[in-house]
Amino acid sequence: MLTDREVLSTLQMLRSEHLDVRTVTLGVSLLDCASHDPDRFRKNIHRKICTLGRDLVRTCDEVGDKYGIPVVNKRIAVSPIAVAGAPFSSDPMVRIAGTLDEAAREVGVDFIGGFSALVEKGFAPGDRALIEAIPEALAETERICASVNVASTAAGINMDGVLLMGRTVKEAARLTASADGLACAKLGVFANIPQDVPFMAGAYLGVGEPDAVINVGVSGPGVVKNAIERSRQADPALDLGRLSEIIKRTAFKVTRVGELIGTEVAANLNVPFGVVDLSLAPTPNVGDSVGEIFQSMGLESIGVPGSTAVLALLNDAVKKGGAFASSHVGGLSGAFIPVSEDLNISEAARKGYLSLEKLEAMTSVCSVGLDMVALPGDVSAETIAAIVADEMAIGVINRKTTAARLIPVPGKKAGDKAFFGGLLGEATIIALRSPESSSGFIHLGGRIPAPAQSLIN
Amino acid sequence: MEKVVLSVLGTDRPGIVAAVSSVLMDYGCNVEDVSQTILQGEFVGIVIASVPDQTPLEDLRQALGRALDPLDLHVMLKSLNASTPPGAGTESEPFVVVTTGPDRLGLVAGITEVMARFEVNITQLKAAFRGGDDPHRNTMIYEVDVPPDTDPQGFRLALRKRAEELGLTLSLQHRDIFEALHRI
Repeated sequence: MLTDREVLSTLQMLRSEHLDVRTVTLGVSLLDCASHDPDRFRKNIHRKICTLGRDLVRTCDEVGDKYGIPVVNKRIAVSPIAVAGAPFSSDPMVRIAGTLDEAAREVGVDFIGGFSALVEKGFAPGDRALIEAIPEALAETERICASVNVASTAAGINMDGVLLMGRTVKEAARLTASADGLACAKLGVFANIPQDVPFMAGAYLGVGEPDAVINVGVSGPGVVKNAIERSRQADPALDLGRLSEIIKRTAFKVTRVGELIGTEVAANLNVPFGVVDLSLAPTPNVGDSVGEIFQSMGLESIGVPGSTAVLALLNDAVKKGGAFASSHVGGLSGAFIPVSEDLNISEAARKGYLSLEKLEAMTSVCSVGLDMVALPGDVSAETIAAIVADEMAIGVINRKTTAARLIPVPGKKAGDKAFFGGLLGEATIIALRSPESSSGFIHLGGRIPAPAQSLIN
Repeated sequence: MEKVVLSVLGTDRPGIVAAVSSVLMDYGCNVEDVSQTILQGEFVGIVIASVPDQTPLEDLRQALGRALDPLDLHVMLKSLNASTPPGAGTESEPFVVVTTGPDRLGLVAGITEVMARFEVNITQLKAAFRGGDDPHRNTMIYEVDVPPDTDPQGFRLALRKRAEELGLTLSLQHRDIFEALHRI
């Protein structure tokens, strides 16, 4: 017999705290679709995605209905196209993006990830072709997400790749200038990218993964914030140790929801279940914000002194609670601080609480990096590359994933607003301190060597 | 050995279960299952016990009456039929229905009519109506078994429609979600 408290607290989380499953992502390997003929390859990948993905949306909705937990996004992640389509040049790569977009539309998913390359140690011809194709591919499609891994703890940082991505970001922004550089919102540059991320823009299916797999991204910043506020109201003397316990318990609950829904969707689709990604992922809605958690912990806003410490506590507690609740944890697993996608963080940027430097500092204790940060449109490719290089260094040295999803908004300057729409939200453009002063370093090129794995201070 | 089921209803006070069980003991009856609950000071209990062969049930009933009448308790006794309970042997799925919303006449009747129509069996029900418009002071929590051949979408829609007519917010969720969230 269930207790009233169990039943009613569950309903409260659902009805007023935005408890949901943020994404169920079906990984589809395209490696067996390989062909030297681009048209044949496109036909193969279209057929495979549509066959495996046909029932994804319906199944997620049915399972969501059964448990009363909405599965907000259903997505597909495919093998890195730079590998699956290694023989092709950039024009066919753009057409492949069109085919992926079409397949995504047919199966009814809002994003398909995996227009990706892994170049931390250097480029293969397919990698160069794919990166060259990214701006046009993203500008001409609706649902494609692209990612490029330019660094890893084992390989170091491919600085030629970093500069190339600086230029790619600029070009993607230019091609979507009328939409505030929207293409850049679908492009992540990574260090240590995991093979099983369910979240966009970094979702792709690693080459060590099965032919098809279900990975789940949970959510729940609203649930965490409310749990903290309720507990602090009930006992104003709660200290940080106790608050960490409360976050752990809440993360446990949120993760159990993801585990239950994910395993059932996987079973119904007859596909293995992969991992739960324990990330607090916000949306641009009031009450569904990671930024609000900082306020519930006694800071005036995210970005003020103390923010890095709060984020460190939050991120660690979410992992501890979540790891206990799930049989397999993976992906990014940390708190997200995407500026435009979180109303409260976006507001902190507008009011000047949050600078690029503070954001960068916070990414050293959480996943996933400088996420959805709008920059002045006249920033150079070299400066973007330098910001990316800093972010990669944090990931490489700390043996963690970091990423940069930067949007130089064409024709706009610091303080202006950029509008991306829907889940991508809107953001005030952040000012750059000393822009255009990194060019000499960035043009040195080569690879920053992999760090020592001992002597860890 | 025959089994009996007896129910006891009356104003709550200390000693009710002791009075019932001591009579059962005197007659050599072995108590197998007991459940009791109290609503607004009113006690109700249900007991299933096995009775030694050749025990005249009328004697037992009279003995219970003698013990319980002075306590102003009403007792009912009957033999337990060997019939199988509803849903036994079929793979029914446990769901939880929760409604919140302002009190008015016919809420329980309205919701349970839909359940009965779909042959959905209620296994636990807790409802409290404290009046006023605060939805959380007026809740019904049903644990139900939904037979495997029930059209889930049809049942869900019928419940939703009825809830809307009654001014209630209703949720229908598989029981596992509550277990997953709250129990290790």
